[in-house]
Amino acid sequence: MDDKRGRFEAEVLPHLDAAYRFARWLSHSPGDADDVVQEAMLRAFRGFDALRGSDAKGWLLAIVRNCHATALKQQQRRAFVPLPEEHDPRDGYAMIATTPDPESASIRGDDARSLERLMSALPEEQREVLVLREIEDLDYRAIATVTNVPIGTVMSRLARARAALKARWLRQAEGELRGVR
Amino acid sequence: MGCAEALRVQAYFDAEVDAVSAADIERHVEHCAECRALLQDLEQTRTAIRRDLTPGRAPPELHARIRRALDQEPAVNTSRPDRWGRTTWRTRPFWLGALGGIGSAALAATLGFLVLSPSMTNPLLDDLLAAHVRSLMPSHLVDVVSTDQHTVKPWFAGHTDVSPVVADFGQQGYRLIGGRADYLDHQRSAVVVYQHGAHVINVFSWSAGRGSLPGNATRSGYHLAFWKAGDLEYCAVSDTGWDELLGLVRLLRDLSSRDGRE
Repeated sequence: MDDKRGRFEAEVLPHLDAAYRFARWLSHSPGDADDVVQEAMLRAFRGFDALRGSDAKGWLLAIVRNCHATALKQQQRRAFVPLPEEHDPRDGYAMIATTPDPESASIRGDDARSLERLMSALPEEQREVLVLREIEDLDYRAIATVTNVPIGTVMSRLARARAALKARWLRQAEGELRGVR
Repeated sequence: MGCAEALRVQAYFDAEVDAVSAADIERHVEHCAECRALLQDLEQTRTAIRRDLTPGRAPPELHARIRRALDQEPAVNTSRPDRWGRTTWRTRPFWLGALGGIGSAALAATLGFLVLSPSMTNPLLDDLLAAHVRSLMPSHLVDVVSTDQHTVKPWFAGHTDVSPVVADFGQQGYRLIGGRADYLDHQRSAVVVYQHGAHVINVFSWSAGRGSLPGNATRSGYHLAFWKAGDLEYCAVSDTGWDELLGLVRLLRDLSSRDGRE
């Protein structure tokens, strides 16, 4: 079984950084991400025999996503105030999308101006396809595997995510230029 | 984003199209200002993300934590409750070999989403689903083409380890189109293939006796109905509606009990 451990270290463990990045994008909190990644790695190890030469990265990220969903459900069950995800204050989405005057409330300050902030503000289903495509460089099929939706859905979510990011970006740029115009 | 070609242009940008389509899309973009602008946007977005978002790395403490946790793992796969309070998603390791036995590399790629999705269910479901989808690919559906039960049934005797009930239910809308041998749970299982309208229904059967059958389930848009008759376990898989699928199940169960198998 040392062999199994050895193969796991060679094939799956190199994707630990990707797993961690993805978990960070999903969880918002570093502590949660650590737990999710550790759980995902253990599950991956236990199920390693099923990998059989397929794409290890996509497979691992799918497990990360599942562990995140499970952890989130447990948290919500335990939580004193189980708010729906869109209204999670850590998300930032609520701040931007649900205020009556998006421009005045929109992204201010150095921190808020970062692209990371804009991406965090996307709805989760858009954010995850964008992260998987642009940061993890997965193809459509792999993204479909990880997110468990048909490829057509991946394509439309990706298009919406990109358009939304672009729109928010422009809005931010306009905000910066407001004085000039 | 009004142009109908926008998604294809995006796919082109993501290098998801073949050379012929790429040439086609390039011609379109030459004439469509909207799609030219879209391509530019896509490029800008990608550049910004890849430039500004520094790739994060897992902290060293996490590396160490995971290695320690892996050291604690038993050498042999076992089923035990995990930290989230449920059993690990692989509870029947003996199914593991089933898929490897039948999949070529190309098939593995096509079936990736089925095989890989850690669905936290009985892997039997995944195996059945994978076998069903595989059967829908060109020249995989049937090994013996026949609408005659008297041809299909003896064929199974020579090619599989089981002898399931077989009949043509053309009058009820379930046309027998043939049989196939498949590899499931380390045995050659028999698959009877029916057509209902435009849908294919695969009825898998194998020797019973390894714990309880899963409940009926829906995965990736396919329904799986399980039942037991005599010493065989069956699973009907299709993307047809539940009512239609269970209609065939009823007919087959009736047939089994008439054959004195139940």
